[in-house]
Amino acid sequence: MNANVEGNVPGDVSGRQPKVAVYICHCGGNISDTVDVAAVAAAMAQYPGVAIAREYPFMCSSGGQDLILDDIAKLGVERVVVAACAPSLHELTFRGVLQRAGINPYLYEHVNIREQVSWVHKADHDGATAKAIRLVQAGVEKVLRQAPLSALHAPANRRVAVIGGGPAGLKAALCLAAKGHEAVIIEKAPWLGGKLRDLGKVFPTGAEASETLRKLEELVAAEKRITVHTRAEIDSISGFVGNFTITFNTPDGSSQVTAGAVIVATGFEHYRPHPGEFGYGQAAHVITLPELISLLKDSPPRRLEHHGKEIKSLAMIHCVGSRQVEGVHQPQADGKVNDYCSRVCCSAALYTINRLKDKYPHVRIYDIYRDIRSYGMQHEGYYERASKHGVLFFRHTETDQPIVESSERGHTVKVKDVLTWNEEMEMQVDLLVLVTGMMPSDTKRLTSQLKLSVGADRFLQEVHPKLRPVEMAIEGVFVAGAAQAPMDMTEAIAAGAAAAAKAAILLSEPEIPLKPFVAVVDESRCTGCGDCLAECSYQGTLVMAEVNGRTVAQVNPALCKGCGACVAVCPTRAINVAGWTLDQFEAMVEAIAKA
Amino acid sequence: MTESIEVDVLVIGSGIAGLQASLDVADQGFSVAIVEKSPSIGGKMISLSKVFPTLDCASCITTPRMASVSHHPRIQTFTYSVVEAIRRVNGSFVAAVTRRPRYIDEAACISCGHCEDACPVYVPDEFEVGLGTRKAISIPFTNAIPQFPVLDMQYCIRCGACARACPKECINFLQQPSPLEITAKAVILATGYETTPMTIKKQYGMGRFPNVISALAAERLLAPHGPYGRVLRPSDGKVPDSIAYVQCAGSRDSSIGVPYCSRVCCMYAIKQAILLSGSLPRADITIYYMDIRAFGKGYEQFYKFARDMDIHFIKAKVARITEDAAHDLILHIERQEGTSAPEEVKHDLVVLSQGIVPGCDVSRFSLDVPRNEFGFMGPANEHLSSSVTTTTGVFVAGAAKGPRDIPDSVIDASSAAVEAVNYIRSMASGARHECKC
Repeated sequence: MNANVEGNVPGDVSGRQPKVAVYICHCGGNISDTVDVAAVAAAMAQYPGVAIAREYPFMCSSGGQDLILDDIAKLGVERVVVAACAPSLHELTFRGVLQRAGINPYLYEHVNIREQVSWVHKADHDGATAKAIRLVQAGVEKVLRQAPLSALHAPANRRVAVIGGGPAGLKAALCLAAKGHEAVIIEKAPWLGGKLRDLGKVFPTGAEASETLRKLEELVAAEKRITVHTRAEIDSISGFVGNFTITFNTPDGSSQVTAGAVIVATGFEHYRPHPGEFGYGQAAHVITLPELISLLKDSPPRRLEHHGKEIKSLAMIHCVGSRQVEGVHQPQADGKVNDYCSRVCCSAALYTINRLKDKYPHVRIYDIYRDIRSYGMQHEGYYERASKHGVLFFRHTETDQPIVESSERGHTVKVKDVLTWNEEMEMQVDLLVLVTGMMPSDTKRLTSQLKLSVGADRFLQEVHPKLRPVEMAIEGVFVAGAAQAPMDMTEAIAAGAAAAAKAAILLSEPEIPLKPFVAVVDESRCTGCGDCLAECSYQGTLVMAEVNGRTVAQVNPALCKGCGACVAVCPTRAINVAGWTLDQFEAMVEAIAKA
Repeated sequence: MTESIEVDVLVIGSGIAGLQASLDVADQGFSVAIVEKSPSIGGKMISLSKVFPTLDCASCITTPRMASVSHHPRIQTFTYSVVEAIRRVNGSFVAAVTRRPRYIDEAACISCGHCEDACPVYVPDEFEVGLGTRKAISIPFTNAIPQFPVLDMQYCIRCGACARACPKECINFLQQPSPLEITAKAVILATGYETTPMTIKKQYGMGRFPNVISALAAERLLAPHGPYGRVLRPSDGKVPDSIAYVQCAGSRDSSIGVPYCSRVCCMYAIKQAILLSGSLPRADITIYYMDIRAFGKGYEQFYKFARDMDIHFIKAKVARITEDAAHDLILHIERQEGTSAPEEVKHDLVVLSQGIVPGCDVSRFSLDVPRNEFGFMGPANEHLSSSVTTTTGVFVAGAAKGPRDIPDSVIDASSAAVEAVNYIRSMASGARHECKC
């Protein structure tokens, strides 16, 4: 990596100023309707250091890119500034253009005059134009002080560790193995399958869960590239993309695996009602939906029984442990309520009701809900079928919770039903079924050791919920299944495959390219005070080492995120983030502040 | 002579599912050809305003995916092209594709837009769902990829203004469709969706009443670079101050053959209502719904946010909509809570939260992929794979399988990509392929 990141003197060794070209993008009116792009280009053409300034309708189009290629070839342009949309959109596009032209792709600066100028100053064209000019000038100052950088590379271990052996984890391992990767499944339970083991028939196929699980297990067993560790508790997990080390304990002792990527598929736990929540754990014959599913698995024909009592009527209460409201519901152990929807419980409840009604048509069922969220293609049919089965539905608001009084004779459920003019309805039932939601499994050790983001709902938080749904912010770590959010088995299987795709892409080359924007220490200036170490949030990134008889800070570029926290505390300006040096910042501020 | 190319995977459709599937196949080292019937890649997502629940600008997060696809060394894109038929030859698929004429020389065009400026013919702009106009020759929309204009012969008056304006002399009125043959080892179907046509729900008046608009039109009204740059109602350009959303307009409705839930309409209505509250702080917004299905990650919280913003949610079924002389709309509703007497409520703009139907009749590809009674394709066994179909070598991704939101489509697409690549690997190694992974 290039240590000379603080190019104090713009230009090369001869002191000659490099040729900078500036391009102002219209973004098809997105920018040019507000910013006078011709005026910006004219101003920039006069700016010291700028060899050529142009404007163009769409710089990102092939025509725009060709313009840059042409100027590099014909005019000998050496550094490029494009003023356009946000860098997250097209910075890489233009770096690619430089690369194609054979110049260092980091001798490029992207100035955002759309989100930061035209979109926010629609009413002030002159002001917007003036602001655009200053920002582009800052960009020129920055690129003049830019040193050529090269991407760092970390060697990639092709093995993938899959934490959790439920459907998502199994699917991920199968896909990776088929792609030629070794996959190591680390499962804390004595068996594979996760929660699938407890289910009977599963929607929408109606297949027996045990049958599906048997198939998955067979496929895993037949795949020689998959290693399975059950009864395995993770002890520690460390490292970085391409090079993770996981130690775990099994009854046979402690083991260690190394892996290039980690897929977290730790799944969910069923919500456990608080003691006494609708009588659960205190009154007899109050169970959860998963318990009802287990009950139905081996219940005799004709007579539905629970603990010896014949069940002739039951009430289902939805959203127990989900869609909770502060001030109405008792908080969980961490003081927060579960304000999220658990997604699958409505459909699961309706599916179970139909199975129950098919077997025991005489059992009266009352369904007490807030919204029926049977969203899947076939799920609406379960709702309709349940209605046809004569199930009575009552709808309550979030603040008017159903009230349950239990006695030896059974349960009296009172609910203020909005469907019948907020009338208070009262029903006597033998069994109360709480339609419980999902909570994430405990992943504290993983999240703290790998610094994974966790959402306010305590589920793992992906990088971008829309377009990068299985990637975690820590490179090389992926998430699959209900560890991320409540989902059904079909969805978890899809997520497992998707996480495998991402891991396979990451590990497709022997080395993983890393961004070069990492901290770099100027050892001649470092006094070894250690302030930077104390400030760094990424353990192991900075270490103190003996170099030429002096103690100085050293950076592990594979771990460094380029956050710059160390730069801010260094008393001797010995640390800079490559591509974002203090010199560059100062020159940019100077350019913007200058009248 | 028919141009022919050979790739590993043929992807049909370039909405977000097709884009993601193509990238994930290509990034694993395999070559891809995308065939897209529209003149630009990007599908429906590129036309949306913002996305729920993150409120990211849709075009800002879609454009990078489109750009990555168009610059990817292993992806070839054929826009404005249709797959006519696919046949199997020795385990491969041979797709007969027709490249429709844009009436320009694509190799010479520099996307300067002079032809569009010169054209004197204004026609309704499909991209703006008819709310704005375009020229008879035009680049489909600002961030379209590729940036080629399309000459619409249906409206062209053969005046030649475009040809005279073109600095590269690339207008060609006599251009013919050209055939293309794509040979691929696997096919990913990502043919997406259309919104439920409101011709089958005439009582809601869309098409007759100018201020009853489609959900996608509302997306354009709210888009940063939309047709008016602000929210106006179509009949008179007035800023609306009482806006209604009619949920399940073309979903959960057996009477029109769409009994299923379309999954996204609750959330996009809530999102649009939140955006409307931002741009029209004084407007009253009411959502008439059956159930609010905010089931995805962060969705329930988003729904709560909307209620806190004072957006009204009324559980009611809208029976029909009529119009008064001022083009205001009267919704004839039956409340399903509180009273249940029929009521008439007046609003000055109505958005129909249309459902989702299949985007493309894939039966003409003769691939034998089973479809359900509604025309959506399904996987062979969704408990084992969400994208492997019963037809060996054919995979399916995104809303072609049924309504789904963006994250679910993206996950699906990645799943289809890994399955397709693994299938090709298994073919190459001569192993017997089962739909195991």
